[in-house]
Amino acid sequence: QTNLKGTVTEQSTSLPIPAVNVLIKGTNAGTATDFDGEYQIEVNNGDVLQFSFIGYKSQEIIYSGQAVLDVVLEEDTSQLSEIVLIGYGSTTKKDATGSVESVTSEDFTRGNIVTPENLLSGRVAGVSINTSGSPGSGSEIRIRGGSSINASNNPLIIIDGLPIDNNGVNGSNGILATINPNDIESFSVLKDASSTAIYGSRASNGVIIIVTKKGKATFSATYDTQYSFGELTDRIGVFSGDEFRQLIASQPINGSTLNESLLGSASTDWQDEIFRNTVSSLHNVSMQGSLFKAIPARFSFGTTNQEGALITSEFERRNLGVALNPTLLDNHLKINLNANLAFEDNRFGDTGQIGAALGYDPTHPVYDPSSPFGGFYQHRNGSLLSNGTTNPVASLLQRENYGDANRSYGNLNFDYKFHFLPELRAVVNIGYDETESKSIDYTSTLVATNDPVKGNSSLGFQKRTNKSLDGYLNYTDEFGNIRTELMTGYSYQKFTNNGGNTGNQRDSASFPSTFADPDVVLIGFFGRANFTLQDKYLLTLTYRRDGTSRFSETNRWGNFPAAAFAWNMSDEDFLKDNNTISNLKLRVGYGITGQQDISGNNDIFLNRYRGGDQNSQYQFDNQVIESLIASEINPDLKWEETSTIEFGIDYGLFNDRISGSLNFFQKNSTDLLFTASVADGTNFSNSIIQNIGELQIQGIEFSANTDVVKNEDLDINFNFNATFLNREIKKLALGQDVRTGGIAGGTGNNIQLLREGEAPNSFSVFKQLYDTSGNPIEGAYADLNGDNIINDDDRYLKENPNADVILGFQSNINYKNLDLSFNLRANIGNYAYNNANSSRAQYERILDNSVLANLPTSVLNTTFQRTSDVIISDIYLEDASFLKLDNITLGYTFNNVSKSLKSIRLWGGVQNVFTITNYSGLDPEVFGGIDNLIYPRPRTILTGANFKF
Amino acid sequence: CTDDLNITPNDDQTTLSEELFLNESAYEQVLAGIYANLALTGTDGAGSSNLKNIDAGTSQFGRVLLYVQTLSADEMIWSYENDPGTREIQRNLWTAQNPLLLGMFSRAHLSIALANNFLRETTDAKLDARNVSTATRSEISAYRAEARLMRAMAYYYMMDIFGKANFVTEDDALNSQPPVYDRAQLFSFIETELKAIDTDLIASRQNQYGRADKSVAYMILAKMYLNAEVYINENRYTDCVSYCEKIIGDGYTLATNYLHNFMADNNTNSATNEIIFPIVSDGLTTQNYGPTTVMINGSVGSIEVNGTEVGVSPGGWGGALRVRKQLANLFGSAFANDDRNTIISSGRSIEITDISDRDSGYILQKYSNATSTGTFGIDQTFVDTDFPLFRLADVYLMYAEAHLRGGGGSLSTAVGYVNALRTRANNSNTITSSDLTLDFILDERARELHWEAHRRQDLIRYGKFTGGNYNWVWKGNGSNGISLPAHFKVYPIPTASIAANPNLTQNPGY
Repeated sequence: QTNLKGTVTEQSTSLPIPAVNVLIKGTNAGTATDFDGEYQIEVNNGDVLQFSFIGYKSQEIIYSGQAVLDVVLEEDTSQLSEIVLIGYGSTTKKDATGSVESVTSEDFTRGNIVTPENLLSGRVAGVSINTSGSPGSGSEIRIRGGSSINASNNPLIIIDGLPIDNNGVNGSNGILATINPNDIESFSVLKDASSTAIYGSRASNGVIIIVTKKGKATFSATYDTQYSFGELTDRIGVFSGDEFRQLIASQPINGSTLNESLLGSASTDWQDEIFRNTVSSLHNVSMQGSLFKAIPARFSFGTTNQEGALITSEFERRNLGVALNPTLLDNHLKINLNANLAFEDNRFGDTGQIGAALGYDPTHPVYDPSSPFGGFYQHRNGSLLSNGTTNPVASLLQRENYGDANRSYGNLNFDYKFHFLPELRAVVNIGYDETESKSIDYTSTLVATNDPVKGNSSLGFQKRTNKSLDGYLNYTDEFGNIRTELMTGYSYQKFTNNGGNTGNQRDSASFPSTFADPDVVLIGFFGRANFTLQDKYLLTLTYRRDGTSRFSETNRWGNFPAAAFAWNMSDEDFLKDNNTISNLKLRVGYGITGQQDISGNNDIFLNRYRGGDQNSQYQFDNQVIESLIASEINPDLKWEETSTIEFGIDYGLFNDRISGSLNFFQKNSTDLLFTASVADGTNFSNSIIQNIGELQIQGIEFSANTDVVKNEDLDINFNFNATFLNREIKKLALGQDVRTGGIAGGTGNNIQLLREGEAPNSFSVFKQLYDTSGNPIEGAYADLNGDNIINDDDRYLKENPNADVILGFQSNINYKNLDLSFNLRANIGNYAYNNANSSRAQYERILDNSVLANLPTSVLNTTFQRTSDVIISDIYLEDASFLKLDNITLGYTFNNVSKSLKSIRLWGGVQNVFTITNYSGLDPEVFGGIDNLIYPRPRTILTGANFKF
Repeated sequence: CTDDLNITPNDDQTTLSEELFLNESAYEQVLAGIYANLALTGTDGAGSSNLKNIDAGTSQFGRVLLYVQTLSADEMIWSYENDPGTREIQRNLWTAQNPLLLGMFSRAHLSIALANNFLRETTDAKLDARNVSTATRSEISAYRAEARLMRAMAYYYMMDIFGKANFVTEDDALNSQPPVYDRAQLFSFIETELKAIDTDLIASRQNQYGRADKSVAYMILAKMYLNAEVYINENRYTDCVSYCEKIIGDGYTLATNYLHNFMADNNTNSATNEIIFPIVSDGLTTQNYGPTTVMINGSVGSIEVNGTEVGVSPGGWGGALRVRKQLANLFGSAFANDDRNTIISSGRSIEITDISDRDSGYILQKYSNATSTGTFGIDQTFVDTDFPLFRLADVYLMYAEAHLRGGGGSLSTAVGYVNALRTRANNSNTITSSDLTLDFILDERARELHWEAHRRQDLIRYGKFTGGNYNWVWKGNGSNGISLPAHFKVYPIPTASIAANPNLTQNPGY
């Protein structure tokens, strides 16, 4: 035997790598490199030495008597992308049996990315992400459309092993807005039940596993900077000052005379006054390397500043992140710590002023030096404010609404491989997430009001915590032809939420208030078994038993099993040598997942009373008595269950130049957690959350990744994905319809309906009648039930807000040092109800209490007089299908700029390039299908640079 | 550890029932909760509601009662017809989908549920088990009678408005599908129940303000007997007269000033001698979008901008409420100086040809957030004015009517009551026995009791609500009024309520 020494270094940097596994093949003899990348091992001539390290290509070297053997390891990018994270473990793409899609940093969507979920926009079949235009705002994320009606439709999001809560705090833009997208390494999207069932109770809407960047042994650093310039490209058409004076002179309202003396002589475009061009910036610094030459570490610092298109609105965030990834005990214990701090500073602009700006009389100026209201023009009679809308510019500038949210979150992960039994691993995760926020809402005392209390000054605070502990054992072994992996574990998670508000401190009648939500505790026991026969036949069985504090003792436990089978057909002899088909896998899976997220009803199974707050007391003998009222109760509440059956094909053609998946699935949700009527008088409300109804979702997903050209100089790839979704309500309580979809224009109007046999939230409207020349007749609707009375019974269902087809198309083109990428997205068959027009574009709306108000010019098309006569008309329901070029980016990379500066990439791009749609409103992409003046999404020109050291 | 799954509420406004009753003051507070259901819609401010699928204000008990009894008839117009349900109520186009009807049905049934809950929590067995003190137990017998009274009152309104109700008592389980009582069954239940609790109820005018006493039960009985021909096709006018006499005999007197009944301090001024049962409102402690807040803000004129006079913001709600021509016409020249005539007509036409034109039609200034001493309520939106659900003037007019319909009593007493009201209103045009006719009483009821949630019931009793023998503007959606079908004498059962109880069927005609 010889004592062999050597150093293992990294190819690109020539720096030593600690903790590399060095093993004599076919034995248990081995060691690992130390902090300096050095190793020593006793070897014999002819031994095969294996050098392996995660993320690098392994090397095998036959020992032939050298005294020193230095080894250089090369980073293995292909191997990384092959690893797919699943719940409580990982697998490879080849061994995956479920519908799991992995998106790593090189595939991320580019462009104006402020919150991390946008890295996924348009990338994954079945996943839709809808982000509002307000700065730093959160998104509505849906995987396969969501499987609930009243319960949550949000997917479960897990960051480095910590399941996070989707609920934000006051003063924050939501939980994802506190995460720096630059810290993210990869996403794993779990879609079908066989892969999600390991998360049992929270898995019905899919799971997104987010992995942040880890420390590395070798030193590298990056600096990214980005500036963006946003501009709104469209406005809702309203009358200009001159047009408005003409309109008033024409006296367009039947039966009312407009007072022309209310008109002014100015011409103000109030939308121009409340919107602005924006400048935003983003800076990120990250450093990776070995700390004390022992601990692979990563530090990152990021700052983002985003101006909102609505004046005064602004989002600012600072992030600090640390990842430490040491390996101890001869490589048997891996520790992964990540800790993050996020400081989010918001100033919110009141989006209600968008509507005020549309309607504000354009014949008056913004400022009026003689005004007692801070020098802003206001409709007034001497010093008394007239009854009507107030100046939207004043309303925005005179209000300071700040929210500061500070979040700290992190996860400590131990992964121990038993010394006496290396096939067995124990993994423990400890996670913590806490967000505290303060909000300030302050208005000037010169604000336009006749109230003796001038404006508002209030402070709010809120604190949410999320504590998580889970652990599992994993055993892997081979028995003959069968590779076996067994896993079993336990998880505990607890959420708390409380806060308060001072009330208006200028108002003696206002009181401070506090709230404290019931805690939510979730406990689970889970296990999984994988069997792989001859690398071709794969079977996965999972089981989870979950308990929730949201249901009574008798109902709180639920069982969630799943099974999946996959066949690597391309490994069979008859396909092995096929030149066309390089990969073909058939998958079939079935599983049951649960849903218990009924925010706001966390203790509804308990027998409770609620006392009135300070404004909601009763009086006996003119003495205040705190009245106590029994709260609604449902002790029988239990799990909503979703069963999913899925059939999938993963394919690769021409040596995987074209690859992708085709999935067919059907999800059936039963015992829906649904707020429905109870017999009046039998509970303490007329409607409570119950287990009622069934929902079915059928879908097809298709994806294709294509390397069109791939050679040294030129690389062109496409990613195309398509999703077809059909959601249908199968059953509702006693078969009865449920009205939903509240709209503006009057109090409590609804435009949508839930009905058996129909898509959820289908629009319920009157059928507009038209005259012979095709003009709509005001208030005239088809008498659909033929009873000669037009009433609610004549409303019919037409379309729904969900797209039938969602398409995504991305391309990355690299030519030498030049790179170009773009994202196209389309939705087909989604309808939107134009509430901006339906509640405003009628002539009577010119009368705004005692003042005049502007209207959308679309009133000229209908010449409608009265909102109440037309608001439910199907004339306002429009096809909102669209094609959007979300983003186009062009970059150039300078390599090896200097000894320390490895590369610089300069890039520029445009976000929100164009939208092709027939929809008449500002933007066809509307949450829930009701378009009541969304915060507009600006077109943004971006420029940036990335430096790598 | 799976014990952590056993949670308890963290919020200091919420208490588990097992802890609540450890404190004996809870019984009074839970009783207050039953009363509060008439004033409040929820526990967390005027915008909160413990009912769902409905706007908070649209389910405030007094307000929806005002809408179904007054807005549906010849006295009142609501300008903002895109507020759901209002258009269909005031043009008599309602369907089972109407949200205001859901508000009425569900809110009244919540009173029933809360009363049943109180009765379940105060059985002898429970009080024994909790070792409740003798002092508290002696109060609880009156509390229990009041809970039963509030439940009977809810059934009374359901009988009148919908002609049926889910019949739920303290013996029924939560979330059950209860039997349904029709008018005759409800009539019999309410009558028996109100008589049964008579001994336990606190004597008239002896209970705390805001709580109900014997005369509230008498009032409901008197009203049932007056309308018994409508409800059960029986002549019970004698019973009506005798219950009116009981109330009058218990010492109520008219407020010194008619308008005291409708002012911010009607809980302390001379109206306390007249008001038999109020729905409490307070600008600070009992904020609600109830009938007085709605009527005081709503009746501020779009032209007059006269909110300051009645203690709300100058523009109020911009002319939301106006009066129909038929009410205005009842105040002819003989009533020019009658205190009950608060109509403002200057610069306005009497006609309302376009309901959304808030400058047309007369307005009214009956209710006010000003006090009898010239100060104002604490808040400019939420008024201090209590809604006088039952008051003595109504009893006087019921007595007179029941007398004319053959219920006994004395004609001179009846005439005296009518003249007492006129004299109190500073109207010197008193009447003589020959003036006292049924038609006169109907008109006089409108002059005295307009906008107090009585009109629909009165018109139905007189056979003038449905059919075409009396039409008012916008009745049946005709600008001059058209006939209504007979089935409109009761409202349709709300769709959502039928959906949850298969025993509940739709009223004929709907």
